Amino acid sequence: MASTACFVIVSKNDIPIYEAEVGTAPRKEEVAYQHQFILHAALDIVQDLAWTTSAMFLKSVDRFNDLVVSVYVTADVHTRFMLLHDSRTEDGIKSFFQEVHELYIKILMNPLYMPGSRVTSSHFDTKVRALARKYL
Amino acid sequence: MDPIRTYLGRLLLEEITPVVMVITTPLAEEACQKNGFSFVDMLLPFSLFPRIDVPVRTASDQPYRLQMFKLRLFHASNIRKQNYEAAEEHLKRVISDLNEKNPPDLLSEPPQLDTALTKSESDLCPGWIKTFNKELIRTVSFSEHESFDHPVACILVASSKDEEPINKFTDLFNMDQTPPLLNEGVMDPKMLKHYVLLHDNQDGSTENAASIFAEMRGTFGQYDCKMLCINSLREGDENNNEVMWLPYRNYGILDHGKTCCLNTDDLNQIREFMQDLTCNHIIPYMEQKIRILNQQVSTTRKGFRNQIKNLWWRKGKDDMPEAPDGPMYTFSSVESQIRLLGDYAFMLRDYELALSNYRLLSTDYKLDKAWKRYAGVQEMCALSYFMLDQSRKEAEYCMENAFATYLKVGSLAQRNATRCGLWWAEMLKARGQYKEASSVYTRVSNEEPTLHAAIMLEQASCCYLLSRPPMLRKYGFHLILAGNRYYMSDQKQHAIRAYRNALFVYRDNSWSYINDHVHFNIGRWYGSLGSLDVAIKHVLEILACGHQSQPTQNLFLNEFFHFVQSAGKRFDVHKLRLPTINMSSFKVIHEDHRTYASAADFDMQESVWRDLEEEMTPTASAPRANWLDTHPKSSLKTYDHCVCVAGEVVRVEIELKNPLQIPIPISGISLMCELSGNSDASTLDNGAASFAVDESTGHTESPVNRLMDGDDSSFNLSKHDLVLGGGETKRVKLKVTPKVEGILKIVGVRWTLSESVVGYRYFEVNTKKKTKAKKGARISSGKNLTLIVIKGISKLEGRIDGLPAKAFMGDLQLLNLKLRNTSESAVKNIKMKINHPRYLIPGNSRETDLSIPQCLGEKNAHEEERYNLTDNKDTYKNLLFSFSESNVVQGGETFSWPIWFHCGTPGKVSLLISIYYEMENSTSGMTYRTLRMHHILEVLPSLDASFVISPCPSKLKEYLVRMDIVNRASSESFSLHQLSCVGDKWAISTLPSCTDITSVQTVLAGQALSCFFKIQDLNGVTEGECTGHRSNMLMGTEGSREQLFDISKSPLIDFHYQERHHQDKLAKVSESLLDFILISKAIGSNFESEAGSSHQLLSHHMCHCSVTRKSLISWRMSVPYTIYHDFSSSICEVELHVDVLNCSPNQVNVQVSTFDYTPDTTENPSSDWSGASSLSTKQSGWSDISLENDIRVMSSPKKVQKYHKSTSESAPPFVWCGSSAIQLSLEPACAARVPLKVCVFAPGTYNLSNYELRWKDVEGLSGSSAGQGHPFYLTVLEGPHGKVTPV
Repeated sequence: MASTACFVIVSKNDIPIYEAEVGTAPRKEEVAYQHQFILHAALDIVQDLAWTTSAMFLKSVDRFNDLVVSVYVTADVHTRFMLLHDSRTEDGIKSFFQEVHELYIKILMNPLYMPGSRVTSSHFDTKVRALARKYL
Repeated sequence: MDPIRTYLGRLLLEEITPVVMVITTPLAEEACQKNGFSFVDMLLPFSLFPRIDVPVRTASDQPYRLQMFKLRLFHASNIRKQNYEAAEEHLKRVISDLNEKNPPDLLSEPPQLDTALTKSESDLCPGWIKTFNKELIRTVSFSEHESFDHPVACILVASSKDEEPINKFTDLFNMDQTPPLLNEGVMDPKMLKHYVLLHDNQDGSTENAASIFAEMRGTFGQYDCKMLCINSLREGDENNNEVMWLPYRNYGILDHGKTCCLNTDDLNQIREFMQDLTCNHIIPYMEQKIRILNQQVSTTRKGFRNQIKNLWWRKGKDDMPEAPDGPMYTFSSVESQIRLLGDYAFMLRDYELALSNYRLLSTDYKLDKAWKRYAGVQEMCALSYFMLDQSRKEAEYCMENAFATYLKVGSLAQRNATRCGLWWAEMLKARGQYKEASSVYTRVSNEEPTLHAAIMLEQASCCYLLSRPPMLRKYGFHLILAGNRYYMSDQKQHAIRAYRNALFVYRDNSWSYINDHVHFNIGRWYGSLGSLDVAIKHVLEILACGHQSQPTQNLFLNEFFHFVQSAGKRFDVHKLRLPTINMSSFKVIHEDHRTYASAADFDMQESVWRDLEEEMTPTASAPRANWLDTHPKSSLKTYDHCVCVAGEVVRVEIELKNPLQIPIPISGISLMCELSGNSDASTLDNGAASFAVDESTGHTESPVNRLMDGDDSSFNLSKHDLVLGGGETKRVKLKVTPKVEGILKIVGVRWTLSESVVGYRYFEVNTKKKTKAKKGARISSGKNLTLIVIKGISKLEGRIDGLPAKAFMGDLQLLNLKLRNTSESAVKNIKMKINHPRYLIPGNSRETDLSIPQCLGEKNAHEEERYNLTDNKDTYKNLLFSFSESNVVQGGETFSWPIWFHCGTPGKVSLLISIYYEMENSTSGMTYRTLRMHHILEVLPSLDASFVISPCPSKLKEYLVRMDIVNRASSESFSLHQLSCVGDKWAISTLPSCTDITSVQTVLAGQALSCFFKIQDLNGVTEGECTGHRSNMLMGTEGSREQLFDISKSPLIDFHYQERHHQDKLAKVSESLLDFILISKAIGSNFESEAGSSHQLLSHHMCHCSVTRKSLISWRMSVPYTIYHDFSSSICEVELHVDVLNCSPNQVNVQVSTFDYTPDTTENPSSDWSGASSLSTKQSGWSDISLENDIRVMSSPKKVQKYHKSTSESAPPFVWCGSSAIQLSLEPACAARVPLKVCVFAPGTYNLSNYELRWKDVEGLSGSSAGQGHPFYLTVLEGPHGKVTPV
């Protein structure tokens, strides 16, 4: 079954630093902006929610029609992993976020990477896609 | 908060009020129409009583007062449920009417973040949305499941002109004018009736009417009848009563152009009538009805017994089939009566009573599964809670329940769900729960057609903005959703409005797809509405959409050009995004005293040039010892800033990138410059500063017009056209040529995209940074935008004709350096410096007209002065070549000079040539300039020759040479021409046995071959002996007319010294014997085009060739081989001698010792020589051998033992005479002769190898070593004495 999944890492000031369509549904132009809109709007909710809990995984915070936004907030609160997906198990999403977090930390460790800049590593990209296939 | 004061409170007070049904006769209606409205309309202004103050007593005994009251008047024909289509039609009309009245303001600036946050709700949501909401709610009026729309009273109207008005009144109510619900039995037909006799004063006096009225009173009762006189206005009377109806314009009143004929008396009469109707009839009637109903309900339903009975009774109905609307309830059923009781109580604002009844009823309906009714009751419960301002949670729960239940019922109750949602949202808003309200609006929007959904979404977005803290991103998103729906329902203006309002949320964000979507749609819609300027402004934002797919990029671009074309005027766009300009690549190339042969030469680092020119240029100012030293004032002040020369081109290089996948044509790329005539350096900074200010304030006047075009005669600009392919990056070189002195400012760049849009961009230079870097301005950061233009001075342009980009190693060519003086005045004192004299050597003026290879020929040799070895020792350094003083290049003249070119080792070489010259008559500060030329040369491998020289075994001064040649070129073949030894000390000749080898002419690509030669050391050989020996050898076929080249002549020997110097560094050989030069010719045609001629010569220089030796010294026994001796007379004494040559660079002590036994060569053939053989293999590192030598020394006693052993077995047939050991000391490269004597006792052949040489390096570098004598066979024959056969 074709599924939608759009993964975005949003850094400080709501700048997306990594975007990937990881769903199996064929990529369409017209949904690309829709996904961005939904994810962008969900940031409002995340902003409120992030400070109310100590958990990093915020579960599903927002929905638009049948699309759900799940969010994982890293320790600095400014970097947020957002996944737009249709209904899926929470456990898989949680593991996905945790492993991506590890990858992201490795990116951060790179002395040549400036925090808050775009993640362009192709290794990171392939790894994220592999994780998406594994867990989502 | 007081619920009455909230919007919802007021809405409920206005909308849930008693309904009065009006039935008129046609004649009565006609009388009203004279004023342009119906009877109902006429009463409309008087149906609202803001300060009525009526005491009311409902079920409880506590009276209370109503302050404000309203009646809703409807003509009987209107009291019917609207069907869906009609309602849609009505709402559409409402929206279009509202649009006409309040067109959205689309041309003002879109709102900003701070202004949007301070706005109140009414500002955010356009007012017409409220009106629309009301209309939307009204479409569900007169439904069968709610009774607050059921008429409480009925006004029957007949005209005084009607015949038999009394009968008319009775007929009116029984006719089919009555609403269908009444006939179906949903409404109670027993309602309050009021009879009105309408008299038109224009029809005559009231007498007739009065009589009818009296009759009416008799028939229908004293108090239920009323006579109204209208249209009593006479002509000429003042008339301003229309004002009364003005607030009701929306309903289409007064639009017929008819004048109002009502005078003040009429109005007062109507007002009194309505007041009387309300206070004395309707309200008391409702009070009474409430009391009766309450009584009934109490007896049937209240109390424990009734409840049990009710439950039991309801259970029995469980098995009845479920109708979509639930069971049918008539007005007389208990449920309807409870509902009516609740509604009446609600209308009279006894919310407690209403609530208790609604709650009672809701359980009943739930048990009956009458869902629509259940939902309706729940809705009213919630409203009652709200009006009582109690239990918010309960109210919300009821609302949610009602909403969900309506949705469950399906399409029949969809609009009800909408109404319920709207009330719910209003309720939440009244309590400040904006976030919840917006989600309700969103839910409502899902149930409505697109246009209504758009309006709902817009309200939702407003709520997000009003929530605390404001949820801007949700606000933006919902506005976009709303806008999208507006567009789908063909309301472009509203769509634009919605998108525009959302703009500030998405400003400057990096969510690319969002930006593209918003700007593209706004642009497109503006374009279709004809506001092309605004449309273009928005589409400009998205032109650089590299992340989009190609069709989308095409779409964006086409749309943009379409707008631009339809706008039909020129657009100047600051910071046009197509193409992208890479500012980090930005570079200004200007020539001050440093000039460049081509623009590419500028890329070289300044320090490289400065190192090269160090000795050549005069030092501009003495270097300061410390910072206290002031800079000498006299030093050229112009150099503090960047300087360029009038009339000379200033280049600006910039990178343009096309972010799209589609090619874009760009034309007319040129610089924008300013040239001010003031050359005073002090104004420079001020000028720059003022310009910066100018830029920050934003240019009001388009600077393109101000700064462009070379009509301004002070400078010229170049223009470029190009097409950038998809994703392509191109470097553009822009030029500006100042014509007069002054200060040139390079302001920006402009270009035309697709011949329709002019883009421009300023070069932003941080002024602070600039002042900081000012001291280092001479080191030119390449980013300086302000240049001082000085007066034109002379300039040389130079190039080297025929300098190839690729050449084979060893390639030798004569090139021509051409210098052209482009200016008027002459230049003098020309000097040149080359960084690689190994590759380029300036020739002699005599060689200008010569050509290769004739000039190298041997016959010219005597004409040239021979270079002395010592003179050229230093030439391997950087070559500073001064042209003679007489070489003055006049203005406009071209000066040429031969220059020799030779390729060294393969690889890439960058050749730097700097030419210094001075002005003949310099008026400006500049006295000299340098011309810098840079050339990158790729040297390809060609022939690779190596030599192995081994000493000739028979002669000490001769050597055998093996030359291994490998052609490493990929495809080129070479023919060997000449092999020469450098210097006079050597002679080269072919070996007599293999002359044919020299005839091998051609070495094909990849071929390897070996040739053997003999060389002879002419050192110490007298002049007479060396005749016939030559240091050159022609390698062509015998007898060919090939010309020998003189290697001791100018270019060859020069290059040879360069090569020698370079190979010196590489070679580790401590002893160098001689250098070879191999001259070959290229015969392939691969590089014909570049090389130019088939006579391409290559010279290969192999320097520091050394002899392969096995030991430090070489020796040879010299001989007679055969002697005749008469043994009868005596034993034979043979005089022998051993020639010893010291080949090492050091002094060596040698001991020659003889012993009289045969060495045991069979037993141990190689152990003796193992050291020596290893020596030969490692000849390059003699010092390493010492360890092995030590081992040998240690093992030598054992060896001696061996010799002794053999002595006992056989004695040699000859004996050494004389001293058994001779010691001598040899200077480096010296030979000595050691005399030896041997006694032979019988004829025979003797091996005279049993002698040994031991030698020791005096300086101890290679230790001591020993060597067994070479086998030497002496044959002694019986014969006459003294006959000796020499070799």
